[in-house]
Amino acid sequence: MPRSPTYNPAFSGNPQSATARAYPNGNPDLGYNPAGARNTDSALPLHRPQAVVHSYACEGPAPGNLAFRWTYGSNVAARNRDPRVQVVQYNEDTFVLRQNVCVHWEAPFTYLLFGNEGALLIDSGATANADHYPLRKTVDAIITRWGQARGRSKVPLTVALTSGEDVAQNQGVVQFAGRPDTVIVPKPLSAMKDFYGLVEGWPDGTGTIDLGGRRIEVIPTPGTHEDGVSFYDPYCDFLFTGDLLFPGKINVSNDGDFVTSLEQLKAFAAGKPVKWVLGGHIDMMFVPGKYYARFATYKPYERLLEMEPALIDEALRCAREVRGRDMMLIRPDFVLFNGVSPDQRTKVWPEGVPDINAPRPF
Amino acid sequence: MDRRSFLAYNALAALPLSGAGLSPLVGTASAAIGRRIDFKSNLPAPGSFPKKWIAGSQSCMDNTDPPVQVHWYDPHTAILRQNKAYSYEAPFAPLYFGNDRVLLLDEGFVQLRNDWDLRGVVDQCIEEWCSRNGRDPADLELLVAFSHLHADHYAAVNQFADRPKTRYMGLTHDEMVGFWGMTNFPEERVTLDLGGRDILIWGSPGHVVSEFTYYDSYTQILYTGDMFYRGRCYISFWQPWFDSMQRLIDFCDTHSVTHVMGCHVEISNAGEDYAYGMTYQPNEAPVEMTVQQLREAFEYAKTITEPGIYFTGTVFLCNQTRGTTTIDTNPYRYS
Repeated sequence: MPRSPTYNPAFSGNPQSATARAYPNGNPDLGYNPAGARNTDSALPLHRPQAVVHSYACEGPAPGNLAFRWTYGSNVAARNRDPRVQVVQYNEDTFVLRQNVCVHWEAPFTYLLFGNEGALLIDSGATANADHYPLRKTVDAIITRWGQARGRSKVPLTVALTSGEDVAQNQGVVQFAGRPDTVIVPKPLSAMKDFYGLVEGWPDGTGTIDLGGRRIEVIPTPGTHEDGVSFYDPYCDFLFTGDLLFPGKINVSNDGDFVTSLEQLKAFAAGKPVKWVLGGHIDMMFVPGKYYARFATYKPYERLLEMEPALIDEALRCAREVRGRDMMLIRPDFVLFNGVSPDQRTKVWPEGVPDINAPRPF
Repeated sequence: MDRRSFLAYNALAALPLSGAGLSPLVGTASAAIGRRIDFKSNLPAPGSFPKKWIAGSQSCMDNTDPPVQVHWYDPHTAILRQNKAYSYEAPFAPLYFGNDRVLLLDEGFVQLRNDWDLRGVVDQCIEEWCSRNGRDPADLELLVAFSHLHADHYAAVNQFADRPKTRYMGLTHDEMVGFWGMTNFPEERVTLDLGGRDILIWGSPGHVVSEFTYYDSYTQILYTGDMFYRGRCYISFWQPWFDSMQRLIDFCDTHSVTHVMGCHVEISNAGEDYAYGMTYQPNEAPVEMTVQQLREAFEYAKTITEPGIYFTGTVFLCNQTRGTTTIDTNPYRYS
């Protein structure tokens, strides 16, 4: 009879890692030298004669994890003392930043990706005031540190937005005005198309931002915003979808475009490996189909940020269902609002989804 | 003591006043306790609302305003408002002082004293008033009541649980009407005597079942809770609400009313809706309304036959719209 373990990580979760590996202290049966192991940059000394050239080619998605819980505000927002910008490093070249919920209720996510020849900042937060939301300062510090580790004194930065018009994502851009070695993707839709070389190809083509070994693809995805784009990172296999698809209340601004964009994302994801879809916000709770109200500054039961690529299919199915109809549609991982107020409520509960009430924050 | 006598109860007379016996109006005793304030002459007492209330900040965690804004409407009336960065509901709460008792109406939307110290603020107001008027705070009884049975109006009640000389309203309909000694809610109008200062109280169901209207005979402010306020009046039960409005109008026909005051403000000076949950209302409309505005709203309400959201020019009447209580739309829609 096998000995029953006193600690079962399958039930209790793994305190050591968010990836829920079943061996909190390592699995001795796997051996010490896995087949794919090779020298990595991080084993090299810090002071090198020349800059490191990292190979962004890898089989499958680059390893990494989102190992921290997101800060979630506090019951009394005025007394919140969490960091204003929460920085989570996914891997050496990929950072996820979150705005404090008590600085702005939208609490948007901002992504910082590095390549051999530059860095890309996707989105910029909901607050322009650098005292309240020091995004520029935080990004500068990360870039400096990364540059030191890689032996690069100059890291050109590109600031791109999933939507230029979205005030929950475009406010921080002003902090980067005048920053040396910085390109800010221009804002009006026509100028943005021009920048990405999508004048002819909007919305069917794709553009590219080459970070040096890491070519980020730009996919036009209007629907929630007229100038909405998504980004695909072939290194981590992430799709950054901004407001188009995220675990929250998705306000459809044009249902025809919304369906088309999801179809395009689906086709794209069929041709490229996608590990996660990462959106710009979280509104959903950890229980299916429930979400936080707009302007909430305390969200202790938030859903995870990352979405499985299968959710694109589900979103597409739902998008087709709401097309041409003014209605809201609740799904376990997102809610669609088409032609109704963002505060619309409904008594229609999705079939087969358990109706669980999250504890009230009181 | 039954509730009828409680309403008119002279707390001062029942106090053992350092050997002065039971005749508080006799010279020595009244000198010891300061002058008695006359709340019955030269009515209404002049007073003023602030030009602009503190109305939140762009970043909640950078808010440095006091947790409770205290505004003295007149020397004997304070109006408290919760800071928007402590709760988006930011309710208003009048504090009426009488010679014997103090009445606090509404207790905000944060429970814990270490999160939001309403008790401390109220105690400080009482101390200030007492020092101005030569009283001992220990002689004053505090009545902690609320306008209606919703958590954003009673959350901090428990902060007063251990306060000496304090009575607080229970959190059930029975306890609420019992607190004011009512046997014929909502029509019955009772008079609460704070010590020379009368507060008239009657029922105003409609937003919820358990709601009161409070009329202060000194400032002549009509405090209408959430059944009529500068924002979205969520009307759960139309006919009771309409009848309650009729009672308010009838009251205004026979009594002088200086201001009509609700518990929240959710409208800008330009008449725009501040959506539910907003924590920053930079261009907020005043909390006080005129009797004329109340009458106009009632005239408007007479034309309403269907559930829906109606703007009377002063307030939004959200008639049985629990499912769609908001006015604003997705700003990014395009075709």
